[in-house]
Amino acid sequence: MSEAATAIGAGATAAGLAPAISIRGVTQRFGAVGAAQGVLALDDISLDIAPGEFVCLLGPSGCGKSTLLNIIGGLFKPTSGEVTVAGKRVDGAPRPDEIAFVFQESTLFPWYTIIENFRIALKFQGVPKSERDDLAMDALKAVGMGGFARHYPTQLSVGMRQRVNMARGICVRTNILLMDEPFAALDEQSRMVLGEDLSTLLAKTGKTIVFVTHSLAEAVFLSDRIVVMTARPGRVKTIVNVNERHPRAPDFMLEPRFGEMRNELFALLRDEIRRAMALQRDADGGGA
Amino acid sequence: MTGAFAQRSIQIAFLGVVGGAWWLLTSSHAVSPLFLPPPEAVYTAVSRLVVAAPFWSAVGVTLATIAKAYGIAVVAGVFAGWLVTRSKFWTEVFEPIIAGLFTIPITLFFPMFILFFGIGAGSKVAYGAVYGFFPIALNTIAGLGRADERYLRAARSMGASSLETFRHVLLPSAFPVLVTGLRVGFFICFASVLGGEALSSIAGVGRNIALAAELMDSARMYAWIVVVICFAVSLNFVMTSIENRATASEAARR
Amino acid sequence: MSMIDAPREIIMGMPRARAVSLTRWAIILAAAAALEIYGRFFADPAFIRPVSAIVGAWFNPVMSDERIFWALSMAVFEIAVAYALSIVFGAAIGISIGVSNFARASFLPIVLLLYAIPQVTLMPLFILIFGLGAAGKIAFGFTHGIFPIIVNVVAGMRDINPLHRSAIASMGGARADLLRHVIAPNMAPAFFTGLRLSMTLTMLGVILAELYVSTGGIGYFTRLYAENFNPAPLFALIGTLALIAVLFNSLVRVAERRLTPGARAPAKLGLSGAKSK
Repeated sequence: MSEAATAIGAGATAAGLAPAISIRGVTQRFGAVGAAQGVLALDDISLDIAPGEFVCLLGPSGCGKSTLLNIIGGLFKPTSGEVTVAGKRVDGAPRPDEIAFVFQESTLFPWYTIIENFRIALKFQGVPKSERDDLAMDALKAVGMGGFARHYPTQLSVGMRQRVNMARGICVRTNILLMDEPFAALDEQSRMVLGEDLSTLLAKTGKTIVFVTHSLAEAVFLSDRIVVMTARPGRVKTIVNVNERHPRAPDFMLEPRFGEMRNELFALLRDEIRRAMALQRDADGGGA
Repeated sequence: MTGAFAQRSIQIAFLGVVGGAWWLLTSSHAVSPLFLPPPEAVYTAVSRLVVAAPFWSAVGVTLATIAKAYGIAVVAGVFAGWLVTRSKFWTEVFEPIIAGLFTIPITLFFPMFILFFGIGAGSKVAYGAVYGFFPIALNTIAGLGRADERYLRAARSMGASSLETFRHVLLPSAFPVLVTGLRVGFFICFASVLGGEALSSIAGVGRNIALAAELMDSARMYAWIVVVICFAVSLNFVMTSIENRATASEAARR
Repeated sequence: MSMIDAPREIIMGMPRARAVSLTRWAIILAAAAALEIYGRFFADPAFIRPVSAIVGAWFNPVMSDERIFWALSMAVFEIAVAYALSIVFGAAIGISIGVSNFARASFLPIVLLLYAIPQVTLMPLFILIFGLGAAGKIAFGFTHGIFPIIVNVVAGMRDINPLHRSAIASMGGARADLLRHVIAPNMAPAFFTGLRLSMTLTMLGVILAELYVSTGGIGYFTRLYAENFNPAPLFALIGTLALIAVLFNSLVRVAERRLTPGARAPAKLGLSGAKSK
């Protein structure tokens, strides 16, 4: 229980570093204010994320965690509030020099081979042509996929594809990696193996990571801090700290405190999930 | 393997039965040679037709008309499709208009083309171009509009410029649909020009078929039909296999 | 997520869908107005007449001349008969071909080969064989309309989800139940696609033949008006046929909307999905 900390930004201030990502009063509303169809998705979110920190956003469906991730990445401009990354304000424009995205499903372009996909990503980033192949092969080898460079994405299994997708996010050499349920399409076992790989890789690269997930075990296993969000409108309900060094081994899952934290998260989330379901039901019932 | 063999045999047998029935019906004089001339008469007519100069001049007129009509249809169709998809709003406004017009047989308006452009090749060029425009424009709209939101977002997050996004995301996702539109547009152009020539014209392949029918020269009419069908079917086969290769390589990657 | 990703948009102070359809109608009306102004003040009356003159010509002579009315009725009759024949024979042939993988692999290539023939080249032949009356026009409409039905029935019959097949079997359903509850609903969307395409092509075939035969029917009048540079009744006649085409297409669409299983109510995702049944 002592891990639960309600003070926002405890991790960053405790470490005494300038935050890598600073979120101040971010509010996102869809539709006009007061309109019947308007939805308040995020309500006054403030959060600091330290360099090298692994933060999970956890919450019921529709709580706006993906929206928040898109706002941090500059794919969305929030209704109000601001996000600062590496000292510069993100103003609804992507910052490919600082931030890389890994999306829910593989976003490898199906009309290019794996290596071509990496080249394109690096080209978009402005990496000189001569360096692209080396960077790409390094990243592929790092996830054990070096032999598949000339394959098309559909020739790979879902798990392999997502592994490559992850590698693409890592190879672009940004300081920040935003991951939107990257393992959602995978089965439980592959998820755990990939999560373990991710933990190992990240311990090496020292990237700052914001990770959206539905899975409680995944959140505990990977994160330094878990931000638990409320059902719509999304607010920070509480923050749970996980004090365990990276890289994490599967043994961590067997420790009693792993289970305790998982149960604690479930208790925190259960009410929110019920509330989210009720909201959904009302919207469907009255919406027709 | 044996299944494929049996299927092939059935297909060949079908062609054999059709050919045999043709021969049997005509040699037994069960049908008038006016409606169905015997195969050998058609064969002689074909061999006489293709060595004569008027054949090649008619083919030349028709091919030139198709080329002009198709050229206009491609340029106008792709440009209109691209223009409309610049915004989602205009796509929603125009797509149903174009699709709705295309469900009306454009042939209805053929007399207007004759009125405006006369009985010469001009009316057939315009008619073929208008008819071919629709599938090309519709497929361009569908192709450019079908780019997966996920890929567009991924490209944006990686910092792709709008030109890079068009080159690496929009165009590759549009390609198979675009190719289909170009193929369908071509055959609609082709059929429209031939039909227009048969309906009202002074020269060309379509006119020659209609003329042979008016003169009740059945063998000659069948000869023309055989030539056109062979040309169209083999062209269709070539274009479809090119297109299948394009779409199959995409399907394999999907 | 999907709900907040797709907010109701407001354009020009109204919901998006209404703004779109208003703009569409505005464009169509603007085109008619442009034609009216151009036809009234600028155009050569031998080629283009204003909309008002075309409407006038619709009342007289198109609707008042019995011969034109008769020709239009005949065209409607021919389309209806050719379409009905296409559906009956197309569905019968399609089901026989689609019933097994072997039959499909054997006969579908033959159908596709015939479908690829530019039928317009056969038009003089049809008229030669069937004569100048309705029979040739119906036959030509029928050979246009049947192919999309066959091809789509065959396409609809394949790719039955094997899970649905086993579900019927596990619930003790007979072969008839499989046909009634799995194959037919599974086939419906493709079948209606075929019906729509077939309607357009049937009309194309009938109209082509009508225009080709210039000694009677619609072809006589279009030729008469075009050769005499009398555009108002020509436009009115063509416009009437276009309206008939739109009407026929709408009938097919209404039938599709009524009869496609699962398409009557918009699909609802989420927890309350079950209650929309």
